[in-house]
Amino acid sequence: MKITQQSTENTLTLSLDGELDASSSVVLDTELSKPEILHNHKVLVNCQKLNYISSAGLGVFISHLQRFQDAGVKLVFFNMQEKVHNVFEILGLDSLMTIVPSEADATAI
Amino acid sequence: MLFARKRNSLLLILSILSWLGLLACTLLSAHPDLFGPHVEVPGWLLLLLQALFMVAVFAEESTTPDRLRGLDFVGLLRRLVLGPVLLAVAFAGLHLLLQLVVGRPPAGSVTHTVLHTLNIGLFVILLARTNYAWRSLVLFRSSDQLRRLWFCFEALLGATLLLRLFTWTLPYGLGPALLGVLAVFGAYVSSHQKWVAYLSRRQKLEAVLLQLAVILTMATFIFYFLHAPHYPKLPALVIQRSFLTVNAFFAGFYALMGLLVTVFNMPTGRVFEQKREEILNLQRLTQLIQRGQNPQEVYQVFFDSSVQTVNADAAWLSVETTSDEEYSGQYHHILPEQAQAICHLLADYNLGHIEYLNNDLLNSSGFRGLGLPFGSLIVMPLRSSKRQYGALYMLKEPSQSFDRENLSILQTFASQTVLSIENLQLVQASLDNQRVQDELKIASAVQDSLIPKNLPIDNWFEISSHALAATEVGGDFYDFLHLPGRRLAVLIGDVSGKGVTAAFHVAQMKGIFHALMQENPLARNEREKFPVPSKFMAQANNALARCLEKAAFITASLYIIDYEHGGFVFARAGHCHTLYYHSIKEEVSYFHTAGLGLGIIRNDGYEKHIKNQFYDYNPGDVMVIYTDGIVEARGADQEEYGEDRLKQMLERTYYLDADEIKEQILADLNEFSRGQPMHDDQTLLVIKFKASQPEPSL
Repeated sequence: MKITQQSTENTLTLSLDGELDASSSVVLDTELSKPEILHNHKVLVNCQKLNYISSAGLGVFISHLQRFQDAGVKLVFFNMQEKVHNVFEILGLDSLMTIVPSEADATAI
Repeated sequence: MLFARKRNSLLLILSILSWLGLLACTLLSAHPDLFGPHVEVPGWLLLLLQALFMVAVFAEESTTPDRLRGLDFVGLLRRLVLGPVLLAVAFAGLHLLLQLVVGRPPAGSVTHTVLHTLNIGLFVILLARTNYAWRSLVLFRSSDQLRRLWFCFEALLGATLLLRLFTWTLPYGLGPALLGVLAVFGAYVSSHQKWVAYLSRRQKLEAVLLQLAVILTMATFIFYFLHAPHYPKLPALVIQRSFLTVNAFFAGFYALMGLLVTVFNMPTGRVFEQKREEILNLQRLTQLIQRGQNPQEVYQVFFDSSVQTVNADAAWLSVETTSDEEYSGQYHHILPEQAQAICHLLADYNLGHIEYLNNDLLNSSGFRGLGLPFGSLIVMPLRSSKRQYGALYMLKEPSQSFDRENLSILQTFASQTVLSIENLQLVQASLDNQRVQDELKIASAVQDSLIPKNLPIDNWFEISSHALAATEVGGDFYDFLHLPGRRLAVLIGDVSGKGVTAAFHVAQMKGIFHALMQENPLARNEREKFPVPSKFMAQANNALARCLEKAAFITASLYIIDYEHGGFVFARAGHCHTLYYHSIKEEVSYFHTAGLGLGIIRNDGYEKHIKNQFYDYNPGDVMVIYTDGIVEARGADQEEYGEDRLKQMLERTYYLDADEIKEQILADLNEFSRGQPMHDDQTLLVIKFKASQPEPSL
């Protein structure tokens, strides 16, 4: 799992590369737990190269969801592979989280 | 063995007989008229008997097994002195005393002759015992060469017996020369005193006294024999003089040499003993590891050994601890406040917890300021590559009293101690690990008991189930509950994560299921007696919200099948979609319903994210319920089994019995993921609704 960050004004883009399983989700959790992340207006997650997400990986997003909402930070996923989207959908997360097809859609929000 | 015993008893008899013969001859030669007629005893007979007696005694002594037992040198000396030496001296003393009391005895006193002969006998036995004791000492861990030399020495001594026997005097000067050679030989042999090095200080003192006793005995006998010839007619002149002289000389000289070596060894022996003590202390430390004592005992042994070895005037050990109850160190002749002050001083100089030797403390103004009477200090940290365990501080009053030697032995002690401590920790860790393993086994057994063993049986449907956990305890669960009115509740679910935490939530979920599926006595109508699936999920979410950790969630589906009316209702809380074969349409499809997992939203807003789905089933319909371990099982190229493959399997097998459908699906799944590790728990339930049959009338 590789996580690359790209920060522009008020927007942080995280690009996930590989499989988000029990061990790599710890790394992601550390990134999302940083207090300064709440200074952004938007946190975009590029899922283009995310091949797999385990329940531990989902748990990381779920556990930060409320915190982001309370701070008024939008969490947006884009470029999600069909397989991964299916996992979000089955769990019902698509109704809670913003998942859009492309980066352009994500920045437009 | 038998032969040796026989030979020894023969030699004993021979020595007794020859001595009796010697006694008789001596008596007759001193008192020719003792038995009436005058008998002249030839001198050679006396010498022959003497020689026979000496040979018998020496031969017997040389063939007895080595009297030295292990390294018990002092014991050997003690047995020699308290046995033959004491006996011989007692009789010689008695004779001399008698002479003093009675005065010059009248010629021909039989008592004197008997005593004299007895003393010769005892002296010979004493010499034999002494010299063979010396042999044990000389040959202690000796070379072959020395053994051969000793053999020559014995042979030469025997030769002196023969020379005297034939009364053949060597040409002038050669006789004394032979004696001189033997004396030099004896002196050379006497230089082999290896055994002294193995004595402790106390043993050395004892050995010196015992050897002194041997020398005094020899002196007593020389004095005794020098005085004996004054008696007229006593055959003291016709005696195996050279043999006895050489033997006595050797016995005395070896004892003298031994005494000197022991005395001169005493000061250097202290160093030897100190090393010995160090090795013993090290050994004690090592043994403690094997006995599996606790760390406190290891620290205490380390402290005691160090203080004893270095001979410190004051010392303390500080051990870093994590809790108050643990052993934190100990003090020896120093107050904790004083130790604290020295620690602070060292920390100020940046010397805390490093190896440090200062032999001139009084030169440091900071230390002088403490007003403590110590001149030398050693600090020895206890540490491994991983962590620091503590430090040992040792003080001595004089300056310049510690050396590199002390430091190096303390280093050895310290590393041994750290090794012991880490060993104990490893042992503890493996014990803990074993306990966790055992507890996991119990947890696994407990969880196994939570899985329903008896599936509901009725003539309206068939159920077949399969459950396999990836680890000892799993996160998947399913359960059944019969409700009144010919209804059946079926619950399936999956707790996120694995292991013991997940297993706890499984148990919790089952508890919630059985608690919520109770008949509500306040219900106003039949429908409200039991919660509908969506209501159940909302209540379960509420119950879980408070106890589920932040990143954990549970997916579940609850089905309530009413086989009286031929329909079912279900709600899906983030769980896998339900696969279904519709016999009317002859079609296999998934029920795509919306529904959020449990524990994701932890407020009242959850209920709007969950929906109920109603369906009227027909005979021959098949429902396949499963967890994500089935559809996410990986194949050879990391591909997932997937919903599509599962669907195709049901399309091929819907007409079979529930059991057979399950077996076919599992066989296909195993074929697909053969050789791949199992990532997640797998649970699969197949329910087949059968053609309606009339209920047997009760």
